Amino acid sequence: MFRRKRSTDDFAEEIKSHFDLEADELQSEGLNEEEARRRARVEFGNAQAAKERFYLSGRIVWFDNLLHDIKFAIRQLIRNPSFASIAIVTLALSIASNSTIFSWINSTLLNPIPGIAHTSDMITIMRGERSEHPTPPFSYLDFADLRDRTQSFTGMLAYHDDYMAITGSDKPERVYGAVVSSNYFEVLGVRPILGRSLESTAPNERLGVAEVVLSYGLWQKRFGADPSIVGKAMQINLHPYTIVGVAPEGFQGCKTGLRSDLWIPVGMDPQISGSGRIRNRDTIWLNVLGKLKPGIDHRQAENELNILMQHIAAQFPDAHQGPNTISSDPLWRSPFGVNVYLYGTLPMLFALAVVLLLLACANVANLLLVRSVARRRELAIRLSMGATRWRLVLQLMVENGMIALAGGGLALLLTTWTAHGLSAFLPATTLPLTLNGSVDRTVFVATLMISLLTAAVSGILPALRASSLSPMSALKDEALSTSGGIHKSRLAGGLVVGQIALSMLLLVCAGLFVRSLQSEQNSDPGFDPNHVFLAYFDLTPMGYSRAQAIAFDRQMVVRLKSLPGVQSVTLGDFAPLSFSIRTDFIQAEGYVPGKNESMEVDRGMAGPEYLRTARTALLAGRDFTDSDDAGARPVSIVNKALADRYWPGQDAIGKRLQVAGRWTTVVGVAANGKYRRLVYDPAPLVLIPLWQRFTTDQILYVRVAGDPLSYASSVERTLHGLNADLPLYNETTLAANMRLGNAFERIEAAFAGSFGLLALILAAVGVYGVVAYATKQRTHEIGIRMAIGAGHQDIFRQVLGGGLRLAGFGVALGLIISFALTRYLRGMLYGVGTADWLTFVVVAILLCVVTLIACFVPARRAASVDPMQALRAE
Amino acid sequence: MPSQDNPNDRMALLQGTLDLLILRTLVLGSCHGQGIARSIQRQSEEVLFVDHGSLYLALQRLEDKKWISAKWGVSENNRKARFYSLTAKGRRQLLEKTSEWQRLTRAMGLILDGRPTSEGA
Repeated sequence: MFRRKRSTDDFAEEIKSHFDLEADELQSEGLNEEEARRRARVEFGNAQAAKERFYLSGRIVWFDNLLHDIKFAIRQLIRNPSFASIAIVTLALSIASNSTIFSWINSTLLNPIPGIAHTSDMITIMRGERSEHPTPPFSYLDFADLRDRTQSFTGMLAYHDDYMAITGSDKPERVYGAVVSSNYFEVLGVRPILGRSLESTAPNERLGVAEVVLSYGLWQKRFGADPSIVGKAMQINLHPYTIVGVAPEGFQGCKTGLRSDLWIPVGMDPQISGSGRIRNRDTIWLNVLGKLKPGIDHRQAENELNILMQHIAAQFPDAHQGPNTISSDPLWRSPFGVNVYLYGTLPMLFALAVVLLLLACANVANLLLVRSVARRRELAIRLSMGATRWRLVLQLMVENGMIALAGGGLALLLTTWTAHGLSAFLPATTLPLTLNGSVDRTVFVATLMISLLTAAVSGILPALRASSLSPMSALKDEALSTSGGIHKSRLAGGLVVGQIALSMLLLVCAGLFVRSLQSEQNSDPGFDPNHVFLAYFDLTPMGYSRAQAIAFDRQMVVRLKSLPGVQSVTLGDFAPLSFSIRTDFIQAEGYVPGKNESMEVDRGMAGPEYLRTARTALLAGRDFTDSDDAGARPVSIVNKALADRYWPGQDAIGKRLQVAGRWTTVVGVAANGKYRRLVYDPAPLVLIPLWQRFTTDQILYVRVAGDPLSYASSVERTLHGLNADLPLYNETTLAANMRLGNAFERIEAAFAGSFGLLALILAAVGVYGVVAYATKQRTHEIGIRMAIGAGHQDIFRQVLGGGLRLAGFGVALGLIISFALTRYLRGMLYGVGTADWLTFVVVAILLCVVTLIACFVPARRAASVDPMQALRAE
Repeated sequence: MPSQDNPNDRMALLQGTLDLLILRTLVLGSCHGQGIARSIQRQSEEVLFVDHGSLYLALQRLEDKKWISAKWGVSENNRKARFYSLTAKGRRQLLEKTSEWQRLTRAMGLILDGRPTSEGA
């Protein structure tokens, strides 16, 4: 490192030569040789000191010291393995909590578009007010006009993602693809690794070219990483396409947490979706992302877009009857993709993990304090040998740094495993979710920083305290006089109070989240999720016409109904609480919407006997039947929330309701239910018959007696009996499937819960350590007390009382902190207040009981002290 | 602590003056550490005492700054010794430091005696 060119040996040689020269000269002045040498040495002074000063003047010293300290620290830790392992495991667990959550934050909020380094200048654009479940906000024509007119962006792209089917081979495969504007790859700055991106000739954008860019994953999996894939043909939704490029590894589209497998030009949408929406200004279906020009912030861009949108709305008033305001969001809290559910949850969990880490720091600090007392003699000797206090502090900090780094290393190992844990909370789903963290360079560096910070926080107080002793007194009173001890136990007591307070906070949060999850799961979803088997399938690859597909559906329902144990069967394009319900715009007979009022409601397509199969109560009218098909009069079923909102106090049955441009007659009113998330209040919902609107992407519901999954093979056999090629994507139960709807609440509860549990253990260990140590220190005093008549009971009670006093202070402090902080959880809790007294009381009692248990062993030991022995030990 | 025979007769060097004295000594030609120490003591009529430990550190410091250069050689009486000589940079430093020192002593003289000390003390 900073080694100077000249060695210490060379320097020593020069000093030796000095002696020789000086001696020669003195000799020539008349002294004899021996006297001359002696004089030369005396004249020079302390040669050793000069050499030392030469050595010290080199900048290498601190490095030598550090190496020495590290070696010494490792020896010390090996010599005391129980201390080292407790400290390392404590830190490893709490650092891993932080690094795990950070790895998730890193892969979602910090890197919203995997494969793209800079997303800070990109915003998502949304129609209307910000909402957690927005529909794609723009029609193609509006998007194209905005893109041409705006001055705020260097580029604005649009995309629409949906399921597609790769057909034309023996094994049709369902993928998640996107139709995208021609500048999509250009704006994102993504360069294909093979071939080119989509033709970016805007004039032809609307007409489209039948070409496709594959994702790296699809290219690997489906096409065996064929290097000459470019130019080859493939079939998507039964139409031929030319493969023009392969996207780089990692890039998977621009919706956080959702994977796209292929991209095709937006002009091909009519072919892909079978809809003419690309020509309609009043069908809104495109997601829009903009890349801001340098120096323009997203508020300015939003203002400009709003003005442009007002012009467009004034020009085409018929197509712009809904809300026409525009709002925008940075990608880290984009309402499209998973970030909308994570941008509150993950930072909150990270804050809890930091509290846990503080707790662990307090524990390690306590361990260090106890240990520094055992090492007083060693430190005193070093001080009296001339070590400065700074050197001692440095050495102790290095020791603690080694512990923290070992803990950090272990935590990193744990994190490589736990980073993938986020997806464990998601049930099997057909959604292309890719929710995962990984240990990349950012996470590695962050973990290292957290470890070093931990070392500093936990080590500084004990190091300062340990090095503040005066060598004389420390060496004199070997027997650990109480003077030093009282001081230390006051600091240790303070740390324990802090620990109890912090674990109170974590336990209260844990309690609140668990209670919230409980009340959520006990809430009535508006349907009965038990005993329902679900199967996802897609008719697209079969190449049926609509009439053929409906005939297939009918036959399937009839055959399944005849299976023993099957009670009822229905179909749908959605399953409740699995992010599959969509929305549509409605017009209600006799209801005049306010200006810019959004008439967008949840909309599901359902087969005959939907309400009966889901066991959603029918409040009035009838369920869908077998005869509600394309030939019959268009009908709909609304829920109570919709009826109450648009026809308050009136009978909804028989009212006319326009759904996505088509008038229907309301034939039934269903009870309210939860369709998106359990934590949401019931929202207006309209159901329309599957066979009147139709989609090939269907979900089969089979209500059975007994365990639904035991019907899997017979359902499968029946379906494949109708068509052996029918691809079934996901076979599950309604109860398991709806776990997706509270995945984020389960993540919160699971982590807050385990942090709380760890906190409780840490606090118990902390209390035990301090009380045991303080009691041991007071052995002499206890001996005296007993000698002058205190009973075992008195001593026992005294020690327990001391522990309880700490607990009392800690709980009181914890209550104050918790009351102050839990109100920030308000938006995340369901069915439980942030100041839920039951949680607070239970946690307070729990902490007191745990403290008592932790004090029990030291108290017993103290009470069994033999006074004679205790006094003699001095 | 280096021992001192007659603390009353000898004066410890002021901080920073040792560098100047070394440079001045080396103007006459290259010399080894012991020779430099002797020369300073002799030329100051045995008033200035050179702490040898400090001397060698100063030599090292000047070498690091490239004001002097060093190489091992053989002395007149056939002893191996490290010889120091002035570099061009060192020569410029000597001029600069000398005039600095003269300004300082003149200023000190003005205050202590009310008149400037004789030029080139």
